[in-house]
Amino acid sequence: MLNKDDYQIDTPTWCPGCGLFGVFEALKRAAVSLSIRPDELAIVTGIGCHGRLNNYFKSYGFHGLHGRALPVAQGIKISNPRLTVIGVSGDGDAYSIGAGHFIHAVRRNVGITYLVVNNSIYGLTEGQTSPTSPRGFVSISTPFGSKEYPLDGPSLALAASGGFIARGFSGNVAHLSALLQKGLTHRGFALIDILSPCVTHNKVNTSDWYKQNIFLLDERAGYDCGDKKQAREMLCGAEKIPVGLIYLEERPPFEALVLSKPGKPIVFNDLNPDLQKLAKIMVKFE
Amino acid sequence: MIKDISIVIAGRAGDGVLFTGNILAKLLKRHGWDIVTTRDFPSNIRGESTNYTVRASLEKIYGRADQVDILLAFDCDAILMNMPKLARRGIVFCDGEGLEKVQAAQLRGRTFHKFPLKRLARETFGKEIYKNMLALGALSYVLDLDLRVTEEIITDAFLERKGREIVQKNVQALALGFEKAREMITERECHPLAKRQDRDRLVLSGDEAIALGALAGGCRFFAAYPICPASEIWQWLVKYIHEFDGLVVQTEDELAALNMALGASYAGARAMTSTSGPGASLMMEAFSLSGMAEIPVVVVHVQRLGPSTGIPTKSEQGDLTQWIYGSHGDFPRIILSPGTIEECFEFTAEAFNLAEKYQCAVIILTEQDMGQNLRTARKFDLARIRIDRGKLLNQEALLGIQNFKRYEDTRDGISPRAIPSLKNGIHMVEGNEHDERGYRDENPGTRVRMMEKRMRKLKAASKDSLPPKLWGDKNALCGIIGCGSTLGPILEAEKRLEAAGVKTKFLQLTTLWPFPAKEVSRFINSCRNIFIVENNYSGQLSSLVKSQVSPCLNLQGVRKYSTLPFQPQEIASQIKKGL
Repeated sequence: MLNKDDYQIDTPTWCPGCGLFGVFEALKRAAVSLSIRPDELAIVTGIGCHGRLNNYFKSYGFHGLHGRALPVAQGIKISNPRLTVIGVSGDGDAYSIGAGHFIHAVRRNVGITYLVVNNSIYGLTEGQTSPTSPRGFVSISTPFGSKEYPLDGPSLALAASGGFIARGFSGNVAHLSALLQKGLTHRGFALIDILSPCVTHNKVNTSDWYKQNIFLLDERAGYDCGDKKQAREMLCGAEKIPVGLIYLEERPPFEALVLSKPGKPIVFNDLNPDLQKLAKIMVKFE
Repeated sequence: MIKDISIVIAGRAGDGVLFTGNILAKLLKRHGWDIVTTRDFPSNIRGESTNYTVRASLEKIYGRADQVDILLAFDCDAILMNMPKLARRGIVFCDGEGLEKVQAAQLRGRTFHKFPLKRLARETFGKEIYKNMLALGALSYVLDLDLRVTEEIITDAFLERKGREIVQKNVQALALGFEKAREMITERECHPLAKRQDRDRLVLSGDEAIALGALAGGCRFFAAYPICPASEIWQWLVKYIHEFDGLVVQTEDELAALNMALGASYAGARAMTSTSGPGASLMMEAFSLSGMAEIPVVVVHVQRLGPSTGIPTKSEQGDLTQWIYGSHGDFPRIILSPGTIEECFEFTAEAFNLAEKYQCAVIILTEQDMGQNLRTARKFDLARIRIDRGKLLNQEALLGIQNFKRYEDTRDGISPRAIPSLKNGIHMVEGNEHDERGYRDENPGTRVRMMEKRMRKLKAASKDSLPPKLWGDKNALCGIIGCGSTLGPILEAEKRLEAAGVKTKFLQLTTLWPFPAKEVSRFINSCRNIFIVENNYSGQLSSLVKSQVSPCLNLQGVRKYSTLPFQPQEIASQIKKGL
């Protein structure tokens, strides 16, 4: 039986009050309840404060380039579908420099869980405006107020034919952990956009601000996350920010469709050339 | 007797020139001839003029000829464009329309066979496209080629995709072309080609050979974004890779392609991507990650004419320095440059070993000329393929290790490697500077130690990499250096120079990085004159040689960046002038 300590290799040094603590705790809880062994888990992070997660959370870890966590994570999962693969990004990583990867990963539907720790600011680079910062946002990069409109990750995911679209809040660890468990057991691509305060740089979207501006979808009577029309309306028209599972549609993941033997990961293939097969192909060039 | 012949099929994009040319190449190869084709295509699908040259020889050839002997022209523009290349006693098959525009001087000495190809095709078969088979039939009559062989090739090409009816129509068109030619062309105007046994030979493009090399080398994961002239690798792999349990992923861009390949490789699959021009620039970012994170990967770059979008269907060697010096930071890389079809196959299969042994990116740098044109090759020696996964640990070995360090500082710089899912192998792969366990470390001592550890791998790799090949007369004092697809025209130029009394030798660089400084230095010292032949403006190969070999005396550049590959005569005359 695994417990939370089995996943911790170091004490996080994020700023006290950072939303990433909640994400870290929720992830440990989800891993414990699903009994995911650390050596069967690969966590791929992007660049940003969230990228430190690999230094604290015990698993196979990949900390690569800014915005490229998703391609790497998909490559891992397709090559070894037996692994649990989690991608973690910030809002800059996922929705700005990696936005192209994001929408295509959603529609490719490789079975990974993607956490976007969304604090509406670039924290690691000292507080620039991000693609989810509100219009008019004042920061070191937009001292006269941002002139651009924010984008919404879950709405993008819905437009890109996403099959698991959720939003969590780092301040509600129990709820987030339950959401993570659902995401991790979903067969296809699961997006969990996590609202997460940056206590150092974002003085607008604070923990209190989030608490006042979100509501739990689970408590909304009659909401059916299997209904795309409702999901669209919820994303476009809700008076506050909905938190919870917004849309769910079960579909076979990409890897199950493209691998000739999904049960036998290609990483365990015998690579010695099958001379007969190759010779047969070579005949085509005679 | 004819020992060497060049045939051009010329028309407009959409005319079926490529298909016809490919059939002709295979046909001549099946008659025992050696083949080199050249496609000179615009970067669009329909409308602009298109040329496809098949050179065939009874000798082993690698390059094209200076002249054209037979021209199959589908319109007037095709005649006008190709007349200057036509040999003095050349033959033209054409509709005859617009011939009056050809200058009288150009008509003299040449034979014109006027066929109403398009009309005949329309009237007999209902579609103009059958003109291709009519022309092939007529050509078969003049060259005394076996129609049954053509039928076989057409059946192979069409039966599965288009069905029996289309095959039959094509075969009929072939026979009709043959008959019409017999009615119109006298026996004296025919040039029967010798037939030889066609044994243990292939005819294929560099892209196809690379795809086959990848399969033989254990490639199981291929991710790429469509780009000319590299897409054939993908189109070919996608047909067969599933038979080896592997797969192809079409990514959203080249950033994703290389990152995804790195992810797959980190997970333990042999992974590859392919690209060209602008796509390679997008890959520069992840190229650097492969260096820092020490992840094996194979990248095929089929160079096209640049800069920018350039001319996507034309050949150039303008991206050498991009891979040798490109991307941010210092990191080890291996760059291979195959000059023949056999090498495309062998180097690709070996690239996967090198990548895993030295835990770095291996770049296979070819050109559109090598990638898309067909050449004959000896049947690949599959039995010679060996798989060497370097210091990749299996579960048993990993369980025997206490305190596994993914980036262990070893003597040769190469660290043991574990893949996710193995017990006792948990580690971190880091794009940031890191310690031996993979954890971020900004300490100056660690930085220096880890940088030196990574770069040390190159030393080991340089002892293990493919050495340059020496061609020509060992004692010659005139030396030529080149790499990749310039091999063909260089070898042809050597023949012309020899005929003119100039003895030459040619050092073909097969590994561009780590640079084979010792061999190149020895070669340069044994020559009085050195000519570096390359398809680019600034002399990237020259700069490389100069930067790696010193003192580097009298290096002369023979360069071309005109959209067309070198003609042998161009190289020969520049060398003669430079002596």
